[in-house]
Amino acid sequence: MPFLAPLALLSALVIGPIIIAMYLLKLRRDDRAVSSTFLWRQVVRDVEANAPWQRLRPSWLLLLQLLLLLLLAFALARPFLLTNGISGRNLIMIIDRSASMTATDVPGSRLSAAKAQARQLADQLPDGGRATVIAAGGQMEVLAASTTDRRQIYQAIDAIQPRNGGGSDLSQALTLAAALAARESESEVAIISDGNVSVPPDLRMPATVRFFPIGSGAQNQAISAMALQPSPNGQLLFVQVANYGSSPAKRRLDLYLDGQLANAYELEIAADGERSVTADVPATVRVAEARLAASPDDALAADDRGWAVGAPEQPTTVRLIGENRFIETALGLLPSIALTKSAEATAPISATAQPAVTIFDRTVPTTLPPGNLLFIGPPRATELFSVTGEVDFPTLRPVAADALGPQTILKDISLSDVSVLKASRVVPGSWARVLVESDGGPMLLAGERDGRRIVVLAFALQNSDLPLQVAYPLLMSNIISYLAPGAGADTAQLAPGQPLQIPADAQTSAVRVTLPDGSVRTLTPRGGSALFAETDALGPYVIEQLRGTAVTDRRRYTVDLFSPAESRIGPQRELAIAQASGLTQAVTSEQVGKEEIWRWLAALALLILIVEWLVYQRPALVYLRDRLRRS
Amino acid sequence: MSLFDATFLRKLDNLSLITRRAMVGQLQGERRSPRRGASVEFADFRAYAPGDDIRQIDWNLYARMERVFLKLYVAEEELTLHLLLDVSASMDWGEPNKLDYARKVAGGLGYLTLSTLDRVGVTAFGARRQLPPLRGKRSGMALFDFLTKLPVGGASDLPQLCQRYARTARIGGPLFLISDLLDPGWKDAIAALTTRPFEITVVHTLAPQEITPELTGDLRLLDAEGGEPIEITADFETLRQYREHLVSWRAEVEAFCSGRGIGYLFADTGVPVETFLLDHLRRRSVVG
Repeated sequence: MPFLAPLALLSALVIGPIIIAMYLLKLRRDDRAVSSTFLWRQVVRDVEANAPWQRLRPSWLLLLQLLLLLLLAFALARPFLLTNGISGRNLIMIIDRSASMTATDVPGSRLSAAKAQARQLADQLPDGGRATVIAAGGQMEVLAASTTDRRQIYQAIDAIQPRNGGGSDLSQALTLAAALAARESESEVAIISDGNVSVPPDLRMPATVRFFPIGSGAQNQAISAMALQPSPNGQLLFVQVANYGSSPAKRRLDLYLDGQLANAYELEIAADGERSVTADVPATVRVAEARLAASPDDALAADDRGWAVGAPEQPTTVRLIGENRFIETALGLLPSIALTKSAEATAPISATAQPAVTIFDRTVPTTLPPGNLLFIGPPRATELFSVTGEVDFPTLRPVAADALGPQTILKDISLSDVSVLKASRVVPGSWARVLVESDGGPMLLAGERDGRRIVVLAFALQNSDLPLQVAYPLLMSNIISYLAPGAGADTAQLAPGQPLQIPADAQTSAVRVTLPDGSVRTLTPRGGSALFAETDALGPYVIEQLRGTAVTDRRRYTVDLFSPAESRIGPQRELAIAQASGLTQAVTSEQVGKEEIWRWLAALALLILIVEWLVYQRPALVYLRDRLRRS
Repeated sequence: MSLFDATFLRKLDNLSLITRRAMVGQLQGERRSPRRGASVEFADFRAYAPGDDIRQIDWNLYARMERVFLKLYVAEEELTLHLLLDVSASMDWGEPNKLDYARKVAGGLGYLTLSTLDRVGVTAFGARRQLPPLRGKRSGMALFDFLTKLPVGGASDLPQLCQRYARTARIGGPLFLISDLLDPGWKDAIAALTTRPFEITVVHTLAPQEITPELTGDLRLLDAEGGEPIEITADFETLRQYREHLVSWRAEVEAFCSGRGIGYLFADTGVPVETFLLDHLRRRSVVG
């Protein structure tokens, strides 16, 4: 067994002889004069005859004291066992708190196992070692920044709560970790996760990266998609259940309509397969909930429930400036969209019917109206972007996307085989993210500025074959879903953590949001919209617009974890992260951690001390026993 | 130094030693003797033999029976009190000191005996000192003086001393052996005294520190009389065994004494000597 401070063992060599010497001195008894040893002689004879071990008792004490000394000296020498762990002095812990970490395939949950692992790593920090605790998953959070205070580290670790939203993107956390690690030598990055994470491919970590895999099982079934659509017979409910495990599963699916159990289905799902259920439901149903009954084969409970809402009571108003049949047709296909048309952007807008989305087709207004905006083939610059000319025959190239935010516009769509005759050369402001790129400039941008969402399509529909492509109606649907959440084809489903922009006209005094757990948030709209970001909890949300106390508009949204990335919980044993040392894999099982065991030795020493004291005080114990027996 | 104050001595004057049987004395005294002699108490008749004192002939009887008888009377003689004092080193120990206690007990017994015209002889075992028998109340000072100046002896062989005393004593009488009996030969010592017509009473003197020792820790006990030191660990168990042993030893001594018609008195030096003399002894009918 190796020691951190082997010199401390010498203390035993020094103090041991002192104890023995003291003991030998102690053995020289005090002289005491008595009248006669006549009576004592017989007593001693009795004692020796009755209990021969009594003579050994003093040496018991010596033995215990020496044992105590050895234990303490051993503890001082700080022995340790090699474990999975860390060896650096500057530890950067990245703890995955995404939805998949709530899986219960390990005792407690994966997150609690991860926290325990993190605490163990913090224990292994040498004296004066620093630790940074980063919670990844959803919005990255730095809970403890390069601190030597163990208490703060433990508090930071304990404070981590699971996040349903935001996926398991480690790029932000890893970039920060790389920056932190580059600043100090002896840095180490520990990733505590189930391994179902996305890692930026171009990252080169200037420190050792250790991966501590959490999780053991992969069995999980999830509700992977759900929709409630108007149909001739009222509404049609569609539920898709996916089995992400490696063995077939049999699950019961319960359907609740507006909170009442309506139907149940027994589903057998093949390994890595899907089953879908469709059901006609009455038109009056507002919220449908699908629930997979609890099963030991399912480690993750968060994805066993799904919600879908029916068509909104009030349609979303979309105003189109300009004449375009393609756009009218595409919007006409979308449910609950009320399209108004006007030729001029300057046309007065009635305060009551302020549109949620305004589409400018081949025109730009002099002053921008409130609400979200879609520009198609803008001819001139606006305050949001500038137009510096035209691009001929641009080749469309989608930018590598990471599935969140404005990127949802390109969900399930490829625009790479769209041919464009000419497009405006748009120079975007800093708010915009380029979704589709070309040699001459960005072709499709989206982003948020001053609390409103803006999408710019650089080419006019007439100048391309986009309207003739299959992607076109989907693209329009996605754009409207982005600009007016709750209005597009996947009516009102939000990913957890996705902020919700609620368009509100000038008369709206407050926006009231009822969360799935029943709590209510009241927002004050500013600049024609209100932003609600507290969407991490799964379930149905009700959003009401208030004018005074009267409810003018009520919409329902659901937040669903329809995320295969999170539902596929099979833990990964390895994580590919390029490191400066040339390694391409994160180190997983190397025994470099030093688990100190002096605490156990100290505890044992305390025990021995108590035993030694009891042995020394044995007469008192006998006395107590006699007293008890007498009473 | 005086052993007792005047008030206490006055109290002793009212007491006298009680003997259980008549004893032979040497001089006329106040005690009943087994011999016939000149007192007022009739004892017996005896046929006249030539040489008898004709003053003792019962003439009334002669008139009636025409034979000469002598009228015998109970003799009243003095007693000789034997006080055997153990002054070996083991007695000079304890708080209150056992030897001082023994001196006072001897002094008290001796004084009340002197006050009844009896004789008192004191022998100190271990110091080879002997006070020849004294008589008369005026000898009280001499007795006290002797006891006060008695030195502490060294180691003593109690049985041997007792044997020698039994051989050399000139006359029987009540005998008090004042000792702690802390000698392996205590049985032989007491048995040796029984060979002569003594009326023996053992005053077994022990100090409170011997009855309940106040010892703790690992100790080496040194014998006051130079015996082999002994090592003990004075824990609760050992002390408990000591006390048990002491109780059984006392019971053994008492049984040994009562089996031989010997009086046994236990004297704890923690009890004031006045209480012992005036109260305990009277209750045990040693004095009255």
